[in-house]
Amino acid sequence: WGRAVVFFEVEILDAKTKDKLCFLDKVRPPPRVYPQWYPARQSIRLDPKGKSLKDEDVLQQLPVGTTATFYFRDLGAQISWVTVFLTEYTGPLIIYLLFYFRVPFIYAPKYDFTTSKHWVVHLACMCHSFHYVKRLLETLFVHRFSHGTMPLRNIFKNCTYYWGFAAWMAYYINHPLYTPPMYGEQQVTIALMIFLFCQIGNFSIHIALRNLRPPGSKTRKIPYPTKNPFTWVFLLVSCPNYTYELGSWLGFTMMTQCLPVAFFTFVGFVQMTVWAKGKHRSYLKEFRDYPTLRSPILPFIL
Amino acid sequence: MAAHAATGAKTATNDVSHKRRKGPGALATVYLVIYNVVMTAGWLVIAVGLVRSYLAKGSYHGLYYSIEKPLKFFQTGAVLEVGIVPSSVVLTGFQVMSRVFLTWAVTHSVREVQNEDSVLLFVVAWTITEIIRYSFYTFSLLNHLPYLIKWARYTLFIVLYPMGVTGELLTIYSALPYVQKTGLYSITLPNKYNFSFDYHTFLILTMISYIPLFPQLYFHMMRQRKKVLGHLEEHSKNE
Repeated sequence: WGRAVVFFEVEILDAKTKDKLCFLDKVRPPPRVYPQWYPARQSIRLDPKGKSLKDEDVLQQLPVGTTATFYFRDLGAQISWVTVFLTEYTGPLIIYLLFYFRVPFIYAPKYDFTTSKHWVVHLACMCHSFHYVKRLLETLFVHRFSHGTMPLRNIFKNCTYYWGFAAWMAYYINHPLYTPPMYGEQQVTIALMIFLFCQIGNFSIHIALRNLRPPGSKTRKIPYPTKNPFTWVFLLVSCPNYTYELGSWLGFTMMTQCLPVAFFTFVGFVQMTVWAKGKHRSYLKEFRDYPTLRSPILPFIL
Repeated sequence: MAAHAATGAKTATNDVSHKRRKGPGALATVYLVIYNVVMTAGWLVIAVGLVRSYLAKGSYHGLYYSIEKPLKFFQTGAVLEVGIVPSSVVLTGFQVMSRVFLTWAVTHSVREVQNEDSVLLFVVAWTITEIIRYSFYTFSLLNHLPYLIKWARYTLFIVLYPMGVTGELLTIYSALPYVQKTGLYSITLPNKYNFSFDYHTFLILTMISYIPLFPQLYFHMMRQRKKVLGHLEEHSKNE
């Protein structure tokens, strides 16, 4: 699908003595070196259509005979996960503030640099900003990534999604003609409680997941509830981080009573459900004793 | 963009690689044949309707009204193709959606454009394209595809596709002033859901989207053409 697959035969030599440790069929030196194929974009596999071998795989333990053929696939230009996350999260943070402060050319000129008279609009700005600052800090200090990189085109896709939706939501919430929630202070207070509860919950899950994995390692273990009550939801759900994330955005939707926010929440929910189902499936495949009570994202439902 | 016909009950990629694919089961084949025959017939009805109306009126003007109902019926019916087709659901879905959009959300909704010649332009393009396309699928399913039909399907698009796109764009363009004046399908602020939608702007964005999308689809058909008709020298012309 799209990219050429190049056939190689592999010979492994000892770096110091140049002894042949592993001689695999006819050795043919490559016609030229390919410096543009740095390690992160190399996919080496035993079968052209199969899964990529991992960096940790050992040649002797692979199911090959005395002759081995590896297939190389170019994964395309790569970019680090950290870079992508930082970029895609900084955008919404800044963009929302541009709308909040009503910089020129967004709304009618008479509103330039004015602020909304509704206190919920100020609250919404604080919550939205807090959410993305939290995400940035988690990216820098909490998350331990399995993969170093992802395809470069993802950054354009992801930034369009996050930045686009942030602008769309922020436009209406900070609009001079914004209409505050129907049930006023009651509605906003409850929404704020939900939002904060889920932010703490989401953070707790991120910490719990981090602690499953020693620094620098890529081990995978079944997550379990810890002493922190916010993690007890692991009893019922495989990916409670997504559950809490959904809850946060439902809270924000209730707080702002803004249809674009509801759309964003819905689209995010669909995507997170896809991810949660995938994660749940791979847990089940990898661990025989995986708890059967758990659902991917919504207890008993989904 | 909606005029082109790379998708349907069997696609070009399916034609070329059909040796690798399993065919549909017997019941599915019957369903598909019936579907394609009905659609071929439907678009023939539209074609005949256009010709008769032209002969009766003596002019190209206002022919839309003579085929309005079958056009709506058979174009909307194409929704059934989405998902039963081997080609990507995204591509099929997008095609059908854009055709249905033009039929209902533009031509039907904005009465003032129905007399425009641009409407005739895309209706003719769609009609010829669909008659060829659905008969192509019918014959393919019955394993008796006349070369002429295959040739027509992969050649006439070269003219019909740009013709249809031109008709569609001109129609949307002529609808703009009426949409703006009446605020059709638009929602303004303030409202309790803090949402707005400007159909006029939406139509302009739709027109702009043709710029990246039309060339991609057009060149895809060109590539398919080379693949399918490029075998002239190697294979016999009799199917």
